[in-house]
Amino acid sequence: MSTFRTSQNQANPNKLNNILSTLIFILILNVTIQIWLLYASLNNALDNNKEILIPAFIASLILFLIGFAWLYYLPTGNKRQK
Amino acid sequence: MSKEDNLNKNWKKDFPILKQQATNVSRRDFAKFLTLVSGGLMVGSGLIAAKAYLLPKEEVEGEHFVCKKEEVPLGGTRAFVIEGSTIPYILIHLENGDFKAYEQKCTHLSCSVFYKPGTGIIHCPCHEGSFDAKTGDVLGGPPPRALPSLEVFFKENDIYVKASHHEEHTV
Repeated sequence: MSTFRTSQNQANPNKLNNILSTLIFILILNVTIQIWLLYASLNNALDNNKEILIPAFIASLILFLIGFAWLYYLPTGNKRQK
Repeated sequence: MSKEDNLNKNWKKDFPILKQQATNVSRRDFAKFLTLVSGGLMVGSGLIAAKAYLLPKEEVEGEHFVCKKEEVPLGGTRAFVIEGSTIPYILIHLENGDFKAYEQKCTHLSCSVFYKPGTGIIHCPCHEGSFDAKTGDVLGGPPPRALPSLEVFFKENDIYVKASHHEEHTV
């Protein structure tokens, strides 16, 4: 049966290159937003504004889960390719 | 150079990965590392939220005597510490006659701030931060938050402070 993985493994290296670059770009974007969220929640915690902390944590969690699920599309490389 | 020579080189044994694979491996690992960092930031946000809700900052309790009114001249300041706490505060006698009390730690990196007489500005010498002496709000420089303040009140000629319970302002 042909799966996503087998077709990805048969793809042109240029395509895999694009996939990998896009993946890393999105991950860097996520991490940047998370750094901003962490900075904002730290400032608000020190200022006794608590209402923003839980939403910031949830947003950070969602971004992490997106990044984690995103890793599924990471090309496995050329190791098992025949 | 024949292919055999290249295969027998020592570095090939130490690093037995083809060139094409090597580039893939490092970028794959980089992507995984970014996800790890992302997880770390998520945990950090969670810890901040947990700390704020489970171990809230202790407020100043009760009323504390600082000094007498005539001990602080107009435009003068007086440093004080509340009993049972190590946080330094300053009492400022503003030029308009008001008394204000603020934490003496700059909200940027905790340097001591001081009042510049005649300007209405509390100044932090470390990174040139400025606060409004009337409200404690940031006027300029790197500090991210206003100076925490105490409420000043009087009993005849004595100056007392207590925790200020003004309306929570939104940022």
